Amino acid sequence: MTRLVEVPVQFDDRSFDQFVSGFAAAGKDGERLLFDAHAAEWASPYGLVGLLAAGEAARRAGGEKPLLTVPTHADVLRYWARAGFFREAAGMFEIHGRVPRGKGDESDVLLPVTPVRAAEDVHAVVSRIQQRASAILASELGLDPKATMGFAMALSEACQNIVEHAGTGGWVAVQSYHWRRKLARRVVVIAVADAGVGFRHSLEPTQAKRFGERWGDAAALEAALIQGVSRFRDPGRGQGLAGIRRYLARWDGKIAIRSGTARIAIVPRWDDDVPLQEGVPPFPGAQVLIIIPEQESAQR
Amino acid sequence: MIQHIDVHAVLQETVSGVYTDLVTRTTGRVVREHIERAIAAAEPAFAIARMDFTGVGCIDYSCADEIVAKLLRTRPAVLVLTGITDGHREAIEPVLAGHGLAALLERPDGTLDALGAPQAAAALVEDLVARRLAVRSAGGTIALTLS
Repeated sequence: MTRLVEVPVQFDDRSFDQFVSGFAAAGKDGERLLFDAHAAEWASPYGLVGLLAAGEAARRAGGEKPLLTVPTHADVLRYWARAGFFREAAGMFEIHGRVPRGKGDESDVLLPVTPVRAAEDVHAVVSRIQQRASAILASELGLDPKATMGFAMALSEACQNIVEHAGTGGWVAVQSYHWRRKLARRVVVIAVADAGVGFRHSLEPTQAKRFGERWGDAAALEAALIQGVSRFRDPGRGQGLAGIRRYLARWDGKIAIRSGTARIAIVPRWDDDVPLQEGVPPFPGAQVLIIIPEQESAQR
Repeated sequence: MIQHIDVHAVLQETVSGVYTDLVTRTTGRVVREHIERAIAAAEPAFAIARMDFTGVGCIDYSCADEIVAKLLRTRPAVLVLTGITDGHREAIEPVLAGHGLAALLERPDGTLDALGAPQAAAALVEDLVARRLAVRSAGGTIALTLS
């Protein structure tokens, strides 16, 4: 029997929990899953890489490829193709519906959905993003041209979390778009997702004792993002997320990390997200969202 | 005498002839180990190693830690960093400060600036001047006495 998982009509970090609820419920008995995206009208980079992570988790649990019905709306379908989603989805899902060809090189797609499995992939991502992001960051977001390198550093560190901690591969995507609903400004969004072991499992051997009864997904996220701890005893570890935070503080950006049953965010003034959420529906691995907004004229 | 290390050349030789960025722990480790071997092989040992970052694109925090901080922790020689951009500095400086370490940044005009933890940076400059490896000018700038 096949169990249905609905992909939200507007699929982004805010509707991800709704998606995960359906995913967790459908996946309980180990039946084959059908991810139904036919009604999808929009998906953020976070939604796209999150869907791939769900596909990987479903395949791992069920042994066979889950099914995916593609969006029926032609524009949506074209965007998913342009964003490089179907290139990666082909290996993860049995796809139902006609998929258009897309090169993934449109100007708003700074980095199409790209697999990250090893250090070499991070090199390729950083090299590619520097070529494409510089003009967008400076001209459209009003960031100092020097900020491009910091952006590449942040992206590199976010991707390295997969290589160093996930125990499996993952995906990254970067896009620039006008965020009308929330900010009425342009933003650049980095989304990184994997279906690996997650922060709690990664940090457990070195941190669980220190937290005692408080130990769990939320405490692990707090330890990693706020306290900068790492699973490695090497004192130089844990610099990556701290560096991302410094960069985002400078450019009024946001980071949110979801792992297991918790979600943590560094919330800038322009956002009303919750700093720490516990008890969200369980999902494997880690999903990272980084948003850098267009700078207001006073900041420029 | 000063040992010269061309970091971009080391990256190209050891990791990739294609990429110019110092990113990921793995890359940092390979580059550092190559530099460590070069430093260990020098006979007699140099008091100062000048690491030239010209041609290097992006450096991330992991690589800055793996290369610069670990070289200073394992081989407490004086490191002079040259060819450094603002972006490189953004990665290296907090990493050094986090470890309580310091290195010297050499500007194109030859003057030096200490990077890293303030106390360690001040001590490094004092030590160099005391050992006559560097001199202070009347204007308060510092420069190496060796080339």
